[in-house]
This record gives sequence, C-alpha cells and structure tokens, in this order.
Amino acid sequence: MNKALNRRDFIKIMNATTTGVAIVASGITLTTFASVSETPVTNKKRWGLLIDTNKLTETDIDGMVNACQQEQGWGTEIRSTSSQKPGWIKKLKIKDKATNKVSNLALMCQHCEEPPCVDVCPTNASMKREDGIVLVDKHLCIGCRYCMMACPYDARSFVHETLNNQKEHMPRGKGTVEACTMCVHKVDKGETPACVESVNSEAVIFGNLYDESSQINQTLKIVQSSQIRADLNLNTGVRYSGI
Amino acid sequence: MNRFLVVFLSLLVSSVFAYIDEYANLGEQASSIKASGKVFHESPSIIRKMHPEFLRHKRDKTLRQGIRTNEYSLKGCVSCHANKNKINNQYYSVDKQGQFCSDCHKKVGVSFDCFSCHRTVLREDLL
Repeated sequence: MNKALNRRDFIKIMNATTTGVAIVASGITLTTFASVSETPVTNKKRWGLLIDTNKLTETDIDGMVNACQQEQGWGTEIRSTSSQKPGWIKKLKIKDKATNKVSNLALMCQHCEEPPCVDVCPTNASMKREDGIVLVDKHLCIGCRYCMMACPYDARSFVHETLNNQKEHMPRGKGTVEACTMCVHKVDKGETPACVESVNSEAVIFGNLYDESSQINQTLKIVQSSQIRADLNLNTGVRYSGI
Repeated sequence: MNRFLVVFLSLLVSSVFAYIDEYANLGEQASSIKASGKVFHESPSIIRKMHPEFLRHKRDKTLRQGIRTNEYSLKGCVSCHANKNKINNQYYSVDKQGQFCSDCHKKVGVSFDCFSCHRTVLREDLL
C-alpha cells in the first residue's frame, strides 16, 4: 500500500533523528520523550469521545477496560475489597424495559463541561483543563471524596491501599481520588487514548469536538447521539449513539 | 577538660567524614555526567536549595497546562540519580534508605511525599 508520510509519522521520524543526534553528540543517553508542546493547552480544542453502542461488542468493552488497566496501572490492588477497588472504566448493561433491548456501555469519566466534581472540591484538586479534560490534582487532593459523591456517573474511585510500581506517567497513591484522564499523557503527545486504540472498529471515536474537519465532529453531525443524564446540563465530552 | 577535647575532636572528625560521603549515592548517570565535567544543573547549591520550588512549578505546569517538557521533571531526576543493585542488576527504589533523594532528606530531617504516588523504581526502557 502506498502510504504518504503523514504529519504524525513525520514528527516521529524527526523526533527520533533529533534524539539520535543528541545522544551521539553529547555521549550521554538522556531520557527520551516523544515530541512535547511547550505551550499551555487552550480552549480552542475540546477533546471528546463518541461511543457507538450498536457497534461496540462486550468483548470490545472488556478490551477497553484491559487496555486502560495496562496503560494506567490500576486494577492490581490486592487488599481492597471489591467495592473499594478502583474502576476507571466500567462495563455497564442497560435494558430498555419496554423493548427489552440490552445495550452495553463503556462508562468512564464523562469529562463534563460543567463538572460537579470541580464545583464541590474544597482544595481545587478537582480541575478541568482548558481543553476540557477533567483531572484530579493529587498534589492537592485531601481524599475527602466529595467529588465522588457529586459525580452523577460514579466515575471516580478512591485508592485505599499503599501502591508500588505505578506507571511513571500516572502517579497514583493511597488517600487520593482518581478517574479516567482520557489518557492525557498520550493526548498531549498527539496520540489517542488507550481504550480507543484497543477497539479495531469505528465504535469509539476520539477527537477534537470543536474541529470542523475532525472525524468525531463529522460523525456527530450525521448520527443521532445522546449524553447520559443529559437532563443535568453538564454537556459531557463523552457521547453515545445507539442508546 | 581533656575528656571534652576528645569528644569535641571526635565530633569534628566524624562531621568531616559525614561531609565526605555527601556524593556517595549521586546515581550512576549523574556520577558519569559529573565525572565528564559537564555541568547539568545551574549549580548544585541552587538545585539543592530550590528543587522543591522547581518541581512544584513543573508539576502545576504539567498537570494543569499540559506542558510535558523534560526540564525539572521528577522522571528526569529519577532517571539520572537512580542506582542499580550490582548483584541482581535491578534498580533500587529511589526512596529506599541510602539512595540519593532519601539520603539527603534524611540528613537534613525533611520528609518528602513524592514517592507515595510517583513510581520509585526506574523503568529500564525509559533511559
């Protein structure tokens, strides 16, 4: 297949070359990172997900959960009870009582535009980035769990035990709240979240909601989609079609 | 009086030895950089005094603004100041007693909490 060099490949190659030159020139192997932006994120973008529950099979959702665990390193807690264990992304079964149609949902932090978790946080640890990604600043989190109570999606969990060998891009610790970060460390490098990568079909689309030319924007224009608990007027970044 | 002199002298001598092993656990990469004569940080005295502020500034920029540069990143500190166990070829935890961070923090009696959340063992493929 004749594939033209796209922007991402170009950056990858350029980055590798620059790193290589730097290593040879200095004789010291410095820690290598993918291309990084030195400018703060702006509200010109808003990251979002579109999940098509008709295309998403149960296996797909299990794959998404596994990919999230692998990427972020949660799910290996041994001392926590099942209700205490973290769950950044959950498989949810919903049934329409009238038609008996069963849909499987992948439910994670919905990255609301008006996040209730941010409203209630007493320390500003719960925060929304300019580009719409809702995060927990664990440096400030005191573990009061107000945000967990305020979240209508039960998206946040609390770490109940001492942890070791966390992922270096995702610090996690006892006494703090955590949730889906939309793989912010990957997004900042121009990559897509791990759960989206794990699904081979077009069932989950990630992209910039404000960008007219993005696939997610285009798809949202033509398919029927909904927010979960749209009545709360939170304007979630994660949308679902087929429910 | 002589007894006091002996106590005083022994304290003096031991403090000199304590000062000598200041760089005992600089870390493998940091040691080789130091040996090559390359200056990596502004100056050791600045980094010694200011590293909490540098890290705090960097952590806010990274988390809240998405600026994931290498400078003053905790990952960078760890990758340079980590030490390997010569016997089993595994990296020590940086918060383990006798390692760079904990050694100095213990000496000056300041506790630190970075590594209750941040990864303590250097990942091989990060280097």
